[in-house]
Amino acid sequence: MKMNGLNGRLRILSASAAMSLLLMAAPQALAETPKDTLVEAFAIDDIITMDPGEAFELSTAEMTSNTYSLLVRLDPNDTTKVVGDLAESWNVSDDGLTYTFKLKPDMKFASGNPITAEDVAYSFERAVKLDKSPAFILTQFGLNGDNVTEKAKAADASTFVFTVDQPYAPSFVLNCLTATVASVVDKQLVLEHAKPMTPNAEYKYDTDFGNDWLKTGYAGSGAFKLREWRANEVVVLERNDNFYGEPAKLARVIYRHMKESSGQRLALEAGDIDVARNLDPGDLEAVAKNADLATTSAAKGTVYYISLNQKNATLAKPEVREALKYLVDYDAIGATLIKGIGEIHQSFLPKGVLGALDENPYTFDVAKAKELLAKAGLADGFTVTIDVRNTQPVSGIAESFQQTVGQAGVKLEIIPGDGKQTLTKYRARNHDMYIGQWGMDYFDPNSNAETFTANPDNSDEGKNKTLAWRNAWDVPELTEKTKAALLEKDSEKRAGMYKELQQAVLKDGPFIIIHQQTEVAGLRGNVKDFKLGPSFDTNYVSTISKE
Amino acid sequence: MSETTYTPPLTRRDWLLSDRPASRTQARLGRAYVIWRRFSENRLALVGLLILMALLFVAAFADVLAPYSPIQGDLRNGLLPPSAANWFGTDEQGRDILSRLIYGSRLTLLVVGLVAIIAAPVGLLVGTVSGYAGGWVDAILMRITDIFLAFPKLVLALALVAALGPGIENAILAIAVTSWPPYARIARAETMTFRNSDYIAAVKLMGASPFRIVLRHIMPLCMSSLIVRVTLDMAGIILTAAGLGFLGLGAQPPLPEWGAMIASGRRFILDQWWVAAAPGAAILIVSLGFNLLGDGLRDALDPKEAGQ
Repeated sequence: MKMNGLNGRLRILSASAAMSLLLMAAPQALAETPKDTLVEAFAIDDIITMDPGEAFELSTAEMTSNTYSLLVRLDPNDTTKVVGDLAESWNVSDDGLTYTFKLKPDMKFASGNPITAEDVAYSFERAVKLDKSPAFILTQFGLNGDNVTEKAKAADASTFVFTVDQPYAPSFVLNCLTATVASVVDKQLVLEHAKPMTPNAEYKYDTDFGNDWLKTGYAGSGAFKLREWRANEVVVLERNDNFYGEPAKLARVIYRHMKESSGQRLALEAGDIDVARNLDPGDLEAVAKNADLATTSAAKGTVYYISLNQKNATLAKPEVREALKYLVDYDAIGATLIKGIGEIHQSFLPKGVLGALDENPYTFDVAKAKELLAKAGLADGFTVTIDVRNTQPVSGIAESFQQTVGQAGVKLEIIPGDGKQTLTKYRARNHDMYIGQWGMDYFDPNSNAETFTANPDNSDEGKNKTLAWRNAWDVPELTEKTKAALLEKDSEKRAGMYKELQQAVLKDGPFIIIHQQTEVAGLRGNVKDFKLGPSFDTNYVSTISKE
Repeated sequence: MSETTYTPPLTRRDWLLSDRPASRTQARLGRAYVIWRRFSENRLALVGLLILMALLFVAAFADVLAPYSPIQGDLRNGLLPPSAANWFGTDEQGRDILSRLIYGSRLTLLVVGLVAIIAAPVGLLVGTVSGYAGGWVDAILMRITDIFLAFPKLVLALALVAALGPGIENAILAIAVTSWPPYARIARAETMTFRNSDYIAAVKLMGASPFRIVLRHIMPLCMSSLIVRVTLDMAGIILTAAGLGFLGLGAQPPLPEWGAMIASGRRFILDQWWVAAAPGAAILIVSLGFNLLGDGLRDALDPKEAGQ
């Protein structure tokens, strides 16, 4: 028994010793990566499929956006606006229901097939009919399997017409069309590889729309084409010579799967890779100090928050909610635990999104919190639990929170678990407090507003399981307001409405929003024009070059 | 003429070593003295004992010895290197590592102590009953033991903790449940060797019940080998507890459990090595101490060498 334990430890020890030897020996074996190839170390274990109609994972978003084209894209310089990609121009009908897109002329897929409005319509059709996780971004406009061919159709070879069911804010519709689920696939190529299916109760179509083939296959028109994906090993992108835009500067981009931050740092220092994408604060600092290396960062659309279940009578008191907001040591967390990988941000819309509020009114103030707790009749504090996923930075923040609330007499008990355990409990509303992150599903303020401020049915059977529902925050007025913002045509006014919603959550909401994620990357000195975008599908690689 | 013989006054040592003890107490004390002498001849065993004593001392006086609070820190003072103010530096939450190690010794002792108290008697009982009764009782008890032995200890403990939920109490329970089978095996083997011996037959003839025989005449004889085995296993228990803590299934934050401390320090191992190295060294030293002590005890208690 004892030997078992020792052996296990020995094995890990010798394995890591061997690994470090390998890493040390690497510079001699593989001096540097080829000039026309960019090698990135990236944790790509979340990829489950490369089909743009199904993929909804963070790292897949980057692959899809570099290999497929969209009708419209976020403007990299000002993400509150969109610019045309395949579409040359578009207009919205006066009733706000019909969107007409005119495609640019003479464009080709990587396969050589011409890009037509037919392809766009087919892409919408298959995404809606497959009905995979990201399909809701399109179906929320009233599309379903029966009407999609009518609502998203090609008027002629270069005109695509999209009809929505309500006069939504045009900015909302266009923002949603920048999501990777709206990527345009090569209809001809996909049809060649589509497999016949037997229709049944859940799936009523006789074809899989090439879903199985596209899992690893490719039918796009982006600046790069996908050459291969081997799960948990590598993704290889190759320059698309048929690309209609500015051709990519590099011939190849290789993503190597590396999970550990320290491993990425060692490989970057040795020159085995050009870019390290998953660096922890400590490793990032070491990379920044190294003269041969550089770092870059960009704020992302993910916010980290602590939520308070309103089913818990203590947490439902407004004074307690406010007091807890004063009991997070924002400055210290920003300066240490999330240094470089996050930025303190207390409102639910991340910076860079239309209407984002850039105000951080709360600071760490024990005296104020004690006063508020006394007002709530809890001068002696109380005991409460928090469900925490066993990953950084949330577990570090939770431990810090445990210490700081302790100073006001609140005894916080941490219940750790893996992602599935804590999420299941959270979704069933069985938690007291929960710490987690919320990433935007699509780059529009509604994505976050809907989840933080809309709760149409607060009963346990409620179908719309938004974050407000999960924390049993019953707010009919805010729900109405969120809906109204969706139909506001004037972008300025719309932004103002979201600012009001954010104020409401800041003041009284059961969400203590702590910080916004910053994505970082460590680079070799010879990598030029590497730029991280504001979302995971705007990390473009086509402009990068190497010296 | 009478011849007077001079008998020198009995020294305490001679009294203890007398081969004709006048009372039970004298015999027992004499035996203990012999064991101690053999034990103390072994330098390494004394080192082990010393480490254990130091651990007990540190755990008992943790409040006095620790310079800072083990659970309150300041984030801004995180990851400081070892210095005069923080001998072993601070961890990522700005807590003094030395203070955490000192308080962590209590958890380590708690785990080791409770596991020994739970597992050893269970193993002893199952083993002696099984060995003495034989037949189907033996078959059933030993097959149950086999089932437990068929799983790697850590994997079984992991499964139990996953079912019971993480926490130090559940970790102790899980380790105890997985540690008794070897004790049962040892006790059974020992019981088999003397269950047919003359003195057992004599006790039986005097009408002693099987219960009494097992409790009063067999168990005491199994004790010495059991104590040795338990002491040697302590190191393994510490490692298992640390392993569970490392995997996040043992003691929960902010408890300063050594394994959990290594787990959180692992992230900084390249630049702030002391965060993981300090608890690692503590586990190493304490495990070593228990191993040395167990070795010494085995030499001292070995019945084959005893009684000469």
